[in-house]
Amino acid sequence: MDFSIRAANVEDCKDIARMITELAEYEKVTDQVKITQRDLEQDGFSKNPFFHGIIAEVPEQHKSKEGDGKTPTRYSTRQMQVFGCETAVASDKKWLYLCFLGKGIGKALMSKVAQLGLAAGCHQLNFTVLDWNKSSVDFYLHQGCTDVTTDMGYHYMSCKGEAMEHLAQP
Amino acid sequence: MEYKLRKAEPRDVSDILRLVKELAKYEEMENQVTLTEKDLLEDGFGDTPFYHCIIAEIQGESSSDDLKVVGFAMYYFTYDPWVGKQLYLEDFYVTEEYRGLGIGSDILRHLSDLAMKTRCNGMMFVVAENNESSIQFYKRRGAEDLSQEEGWRLYRFGKDSLVKMASPSEE
Repeated sequence: MDFSIRAANVEDCKDIARMITELAEYEKVTDQVKITQRDLEQDGFSKNPFFHGIIAEVPEQHKSKEGDGKTPTRYSTRQMQVFGCETAVASDKKWLYLCFLGKGIGKALMSKVAQLGLAAGCHQLNFTVLDWNKSSVDFYLHQGCTDVTTDMGYHYMSCKGEAMEHLAQP
Repeated sequence: MEYKLRKAEPRDVSDILRLVKELAKYEEMENQVTLTEKDLLEDGFGDTPFYHCIIAEIQGESSSDDLKVVGFAMYYFTYDPWVGKQLYLEDFYVTEEYRGLGIGSDILRHLSDLAMKTRCNGMMFVVAENNESSIQFYKRRGAEDLSQEEGWRLYRFGKDSLVKMASPSEE
């Protein structure tokens, strides 16, 4: 199948927002999605972007005609955040419409992220995956990654909402 | 003992590297630090900083003593597609003899305040599960262990895997 990979631009934010919601549905956490198209536009495409994105697109003739009636012409997004210290590139969240799985698009997106990271002088790519998400875990392990939580006992922690507000008090 | 928190400047890179290595030694991984002062300078103080740093400094015993850097926090801004901006706390350390003075708490308070001012949804960080004292320090302050509570696991591609992935497929 023909597809192309390119850098996301501000016009893609509507599709990116839609795909984020769909990925959250897949991960069973839609109530946790607060981000809007407007947030993505401001945070990703202003003078100091907080994220970068790459998009995979298929040409018109491969649009889905079945399923829920959606006709995706663009269907994948990867956000990449560039980390400092170990100069690790971290990426979070990847989504492929189910009808387009198995076409090598996921691998192509990962390849592009790896190229971008290496070009920026990065030595590592860190990311998180839910432990029950077997298909994603298998995909990543097949590409050669390691489970740092298991190997090194690293736990991913967060401080947000009221706890963070409380911490900020003098 | 009086201390002061301030933003790191280019002249601090040697102290930052010293403390990065002290923290790595505490985590029993000192030999994994390959970073140099030059990297820190280029990556932190160039056109596009890849990290930010707060420094904790104390005045020596007498007024003629030099200021001494005794703690630091290295952080950067990252992005969660569900909620937006996050502050990622990468390294956070106070030299052993200066612990218990409230420096760590103050650094965390400073970072939380910064996170709120920059409209971050939260602060994220990684802790080794055998680092009980740090885990308790964070949990006492309301942090959640997402690995334990929600099943998030941290995965990593090393450089070799990145190079392999970046090459065109031979299949």
